[in-house]
Amino acid sequence: MRAVVISLALTAAALLITRIQNLRIESEFIVAVVRAAVQLAVVAVVIGTVFDHLGLSGLFVLVMFAAASVTAGRRLHGVKGALRIGATSIAAGSVPALLALFGLGGYELEPRFVIPISGILIGGAMTATTLAGRRIRDEITSKVAEIEARLSLGVTARFALRSYLPSGIHGALIPVLDQTKNVGLITLPGAFVGMILGGASPVEAAQVQLTVLFSLLGVQTMAASVCAVRVGRSFVGPGERMVL
Amino acid sequence: MAEGVCLERGGRRVLKDVSTAIERAQVTAVVGPSGSGKSSLLRCFNRLEEPQEGRVLLAGEDTRQIAPVELRRRVGLIAQMPTIFPGGVRANLAYGLDDPEDFDLRTTLESVGLPGHFLERPSDALSGGEAQRLCIARALVRSPEVLLLDEPTASLDRDAVRTIERLIWDLAGRGLTIVIVTHDLGQAGRITSHVKLMVDGRLTAEGDVGDVELAWPKEQR
Repeated sequence: MRAVVISLALTAAALLITRIQNLRIESEFIVAVVRAAVQLAVVAVVIGTVFDHLGLSGLFVLVMFAAASVTAGRRLHGVKGALRIGATSIAAGSVPALLALFGLGGYELEPRFVIPISGILIGGAMTATTLAGRRIRDEITSKVAEIEARLSLGVTARFALRSYLPSGIHGALIPVLDQTKNVGLITLPGAFVGMILGGASPVEAAQVQLTVLFSLLGVQTMAASVCAVRVGRSFVGPGERMVL
Repeated sequence: MAEGVCLERGGRRVLKDVSTAIERAQVTAVVGPSGSGKSSLLRCFNRLEEPQEGRVLLAGEDTRQIAPVELRRRVGLIAQMPTIFPGGVRANLAYGLDDPEDFDLRTTLESVGLPGHFLERPSDALSGGEAQRLCIARALVRSPEVLLLDEPTASLDRDAVRTIERLIWDLAGRGLTIVIVTHDLGQAGRITSHVKLMVDGRLTAEGDVGDVELAWPKEQR
């Protein structure tokens, strides 16, 4: 508990900095802290029950997926069908990876594996979706004249938008690429730390962490790519034209 | 040709029952105060905007029956600001072409008064006037029947303006139908005797520059 209080004090210091810098994100900061505390408290209470029943853990994963979709959808405001795009992108990234990991026997289909692995992969897909979607939304809305110049040369909207997607996808993947490149050198990621604290051997922890990182690369690439294409398409109206 | 074209955008009627015929192989200038709907009318001609009412005809055919990709190759549009894509001059000219080697890019470049060796130049090494001529050449590669020019000289210096005006005149002489939107009545007069005046979303007068000048609303002169 002392560690939580100390970390909260650090958060208060961060809040002070946002205030001094006039970032105007204090309320979002406080909401994030309160939400994290409440959500984790609830999880701590229900997790024991959920860990005993595979069906309940499946339900728990669905709740995680819904929450991730809503969060990504909100971050993509200004994009038509943002919630749907968020949900499909997160699903496109996380579902195949989860099916592969559990279907091919990478992990046993038990709640103690299903919940943390799903959480990490769904969370990663959400981050990539949000980053890619926002970058591409901003890119397209700031370059409408250029895109219309392309359309005016008689190319399809899909072709015209092609140039604007790679930078958005790449931008979304920078965090996971950096995390994967620097793991062990600069950062000790959550799964690794959690397992060590839980008493697992460093080798076991490293194996799980590698699985998570490699899976995240695939999950985030897929989620960002699907999101990029769908966000791009959301700005195209009938007749191959831009609709803002 | 436009027949009863009405366009609404953001709850505002931008074009109100616009009907007009455009002369083939001539330059037609659409003039009028800012915000009168001139650019919107051009955008209806190549379906960057879809009118809620009325229709646009190209050589007698309803443009809604023509695939947008095909229509836009037949009806090129040049915007006010020269929009050059990343890459060199050659890449710009070849943009979107299935088989660029089937097209004589050098001749097209020379047809707008740029030297053939510019093909190998990076496009960011061009002046404003050269960039606008490249944009025109990029549309010409597709052998359009109609060229729509939306204030094509608004961002250029005086010498570049004159060069583009001569080019427009020259292109019409080669049989291209040209519609130019400009707020500059003097420019319209230098290029053509077919001028249409647009005020508050309606075509209110047409004729030569003198006719249109008389009809220009006094409060917006």
